[in-house]
Amino acid sequence: MPDFAPSITRLIDELKHLPGIGQKTAQRLAFYLLRTDREQALALADAIREAKEKIRECSVCNNITDTDPCFFCTSATRNKKTICVVEEAPNISAVEKTREYNGMYHVLGGALSPLQGRGPEQLKIKSLIERLKGGTVEEIIIATNPTAEGEATAVYLSKLIKPLGVRVTRIAMGIPVGSDLEYADEVTMMKAMEGRREL
Amino acid sequence: MPLHETEAIVLQSYPLGEADRLVSFLSRSMGRVRGVAAGARRPKSRFGSTLERMSYVRIWFFERETRELVRINQCELIESFVDVFKDYAAGVALAVMAEVTEAVLPDREAGDPSFRLLLLSAQAIKRHMEIDLPLAYFALWTVRLGGWLGSFERCARCNKQLAGIPAYASRAVSGVFCGNCRGTGMKAISPDALNAGVKMLADRLDKIEASNIPKTALRELSRYSLDLIEHQIERKLVSREMLETAV
Repeated sequence: MPDFAPSITRLIDELKHLPGIGQKTAQRLAFYLLRTDREQALALADAIREAKEKIRECSVCNNITDTDPCFFCTSATRNKKTICVVEEAPNISAVEKTREYNGMYHVLGGALSPLQGRGPEQLKIKSLIERLKGGTVEEIIIATNPTAEGEATAVYLSKLIKPLGVRVTRIAMGIPVGSDLEYADEVTMMKAMEGRREL
Repeated sequence: MPLHETEAIVLQSYPLGEADRLVSFLSRSMGRVRGVAAGARRPKSRFGSTLERMSYVRIWFFERETRELVRINQCELIESFVDVFKDYAAGVALAVMAEVTEAVLPDREAGDPSFRLLLLSAQAIKRHMEIDLPLAYFALWTVRLGGWLGSFERCARCNKQLAGIPAYASRAVSGVFCGNCRGTGMKAISPDALNAGVKMLADRLDKIEASNIPKTALRELSRYSLDLIEHQIERKLVSREMLETAV
């Protein structure tokens, strides 16, 4: 005899597909949804359906958007001479939070990772190179993650882009604000020393 | 809940949950272990860059009898390989080594020779930024340590000396065969590759001069060894495809 009614079992199975959700958490979420108001539960289902139907990739920068081209690519106030290259679309919001950057973006869709079968062909590098051919862009800021994969991607991109006469910069790496030098490891400290600037 | 302390090489790490990392590492004293590093993806994480791929570290972790994953408590960097990844081909070679190690070694089985082999090969790539010799050496010795390698000097069937005569091999059968004993589907191995193989099995990697061995022989040897490894693990190595385009 099954533990739950088929519809609950289906809900649990679907929730288990979400990252970080196991059997127990899926059960807890399923029973929470069953206990809540009908409107609240259906609002969640509607939000998922609407997002899946409306959200797509921007044809210019590969950001996730509900209008194509996206807000950043169509904005008249943004500086079109600079493109910030990020690994994934959620990284854009981290840069935007600073309110310091007013340029364009380009989402690569990941970083070079041979262990995950992700080489240059799997990343959206060709479309980035295409964007540079117009001659409008003067600087590319590479804001890939400060990991081995992110560094490999940054160096790979700079080798491709520099011959096109575009300035290539990399976001700074080193000691996080509010931390203690005593606890910094050698690589982090070395990157911080390499990226030091004159006051 | 005993605390372990050991030297280790980080093979792979995957994002886990909100800010954690699932880390697979090859430890000197306990073999391949998987564990969780809580909060490792946060900017102010105490792990810093120590859990990057191929980092040679001293690691402290807790083990619980009922759990397969250990809890990584602390990690100190002994040697970093982050800068090696700036060279795409070198990065791919390190990725192949990490994937092979992860695929061929069983969980929690101490294997000091495999640990030393991985470390020595990675250090050779870092030192010279040249991948053909270290990769061929690593792949060949992995096959040897796995017990899947036959003699390079004599035919595996008739025991005839192979020096200077055409030799043949297949991924499905260990050992190398002479022209008379070759089976269907066996590929030819050049005398240069066989000689290089004999030299590598007899010497330490840092004692072998890369310029004395033709690159084609080293690549042939790598291909042969990786074929044998793929046959043994019964799957293709994901990173190997990148290697073909990177070199």
